[in-house]
Amino acid sequence: MKILIPLKQVPDSTVRVKVAPDGTSVVTEGITWSISPYDEYAIEMALERKDADPSTVVAVVTVGPERSRDALRQALAMGCDEASLVRAEGAAPLAVARALAKVVAEAKPDLVLCGKQASDDDQGFVGPALAELLGWPHVATITKVVPAEGAVELWREVEGGHEVWKAPLPALATVHKSEKEPRYPSLPGIMKAKKKDIPERPLDALGVDVAAPTWTVVSMEPPPARGGGKILRDGDAKQIAERLATALRDEAKVL
Amino acid sequence: MKTLVVAERKGTELRRVTLELAAKARELGDATVVEIAGERYSPLPFVSALAQRVESEKPDLVLLGATLNGRDLGARLAARLGRAYAADVTDLRAAGNALEISKPMYAGKVRAKLRLGLPAVVSVRPGAISLKEGAAAPEVTKIEADGSAEKLTFVKLAATATTAKRVSLSEARVVVSGGRGLKGPENWHLVEQLADALGGAVGASRAVTDAGWRPNEEQVGQTGKTVTPDLYVALGISGAIQHLAGMTSSKVIVAVNKDPDADIFKIADYGVVADVFEFVPAFTEAVKKVRAS
Repeated sequence: MKILIPLKQVPDSTVRVKVAPDGTSVVTEGITWSISPYDEYAIEMALERKDADPSTVVAVVTVGPERSRDALRQALAMGCDEASLVRAEGAAPLAVARALAKVVAEAKPDLVLCGKQASDDDQGFVGPALAELLGWPHVATITKVVPAEGAVELWREVEGGHEVWKAPLPALATVHKSEKEPRYPSLPGIMKAKKKDIPERPLDALGVDVAAPTWTVVSMEPPPARGGGKILRDGDAKQIAERLATALRDEAKVL
Repeated sequence: MKTLVVAERKGTELRRVTLELAAKARELGDATVVEIAGERYSPLPFVSALAQRVESEKPDLVLLGATLNGRDLGARLAARLGRAYAADVTDLRAAGNALEISKPMYAGKVRAKLRLGLPAVVSVRPGAISLKEGAAAPEVTKIEADGSAEKLTFVKLAATATTAKRVSLSEARVVVSGGRGLKGPENWHLVEQLADALGGAVGASRAVTDAGWRPNEEQVGQTGKTVTPDLYVALGISGAIQHLAGMTSSKVIVAVNKDPDADIFKIADYGVVADVFEFVPAFTEAVKKVRAS
């Protein structure tokens, strides 16, 4: 089975993202970039399939700027077999999906796994959009994939449990979590990844329509600062508990 | 502006977010509410039915709840129709021949105001639009899911027994979450009893779901659920930046932690430096007493 994972490089989740002085973008200088967390889960899920069946081929691709090469290198170091870069700056989401559809048509994977959303714009658009452009079925927010004859069983987390869906191949799923935490690259993995070629081409070279609806940023700001809260101290647990419950009713008016 | 709202139900009741969307749609102008009737949500039959409706009615805006299914349906619908799309929006208003929307980005670390061209598809975060008490339930038109578009086969529902009876985490007005300070899954009755006393949902930090103490679906934070309840109670949670990203927009935050330097206290409206095992039972009793009086 061949599994393709489109990934996105985003500010690492530990970065305290700051709004830039222009007020319409965020500071990107000097920050740490990583594979978007849900894409990491998708990679881990694919690598777990490869652990179970070594004939599995796991490929990653990204549509993004040159710096995204580091995220692809990271995926190779985790154990992915192939990586390629479609170089683009600020492409509209639908144009990204079209570029990925072209990559899928060339690479012919059996299964495409996307993170359920990237942690920068939190849109969750590209996965379902890619399935739509390919005319494939998709299952969203899965936590498990189980191969079945010419198909896969996809476990989808819903309120109160999991729905299990059977999808004929080729199919696409967006990933909410893998069974295990994403693995760290091993030292041999890092050495091997260094030697691998990551082919690159500009978005223009794919011949896809890049005109697509997008948004314009009016402003960006940090969330309203919180703080100035009260610490309740005096008295024993019972007294503090009663003062807190009363404050929640009379002061905060949430009880 | 002409708006089509996609309704969602939990059991037999319309979800609260549907009422919120209907109220917002009325504020924007002409509003229609449709519900897609099918045994269970599946992208292709739902997108097919909804796309047909949108093409015949030509609304400027399609509004969905930013729920598990709403977000998925909205994304695929927007791709099918080539419409502009924004997910998990917290506010929207008409601005000339476009929409001005507010949307958290970078897992809530940034609030963006964006201009989105029409026609558009937008999913709105549950609880983000305030609903007047006693707002009339909207009139809902049912449309059938297009079963002929289905390519998937439903196999089964594997239920997790723990949470079915409580309100859904992302729509709850009160959320009580437990962290590593609870020391083990055997102590979760403390979290549950407080949640029940408050009529709320139960959440957990990532450390807790990663350790397998609680199911993944209860995780609040960057790789879990984002919640915006009126009251968020964090028990034994230190307040890692990824957790804060999932709950920092809550109206009122209460934190109980025995470490006075825990980051959670920096964003809490009410903090109690105490051992959860001692404080939580007392607080549960106090809540019951205050609610009964």
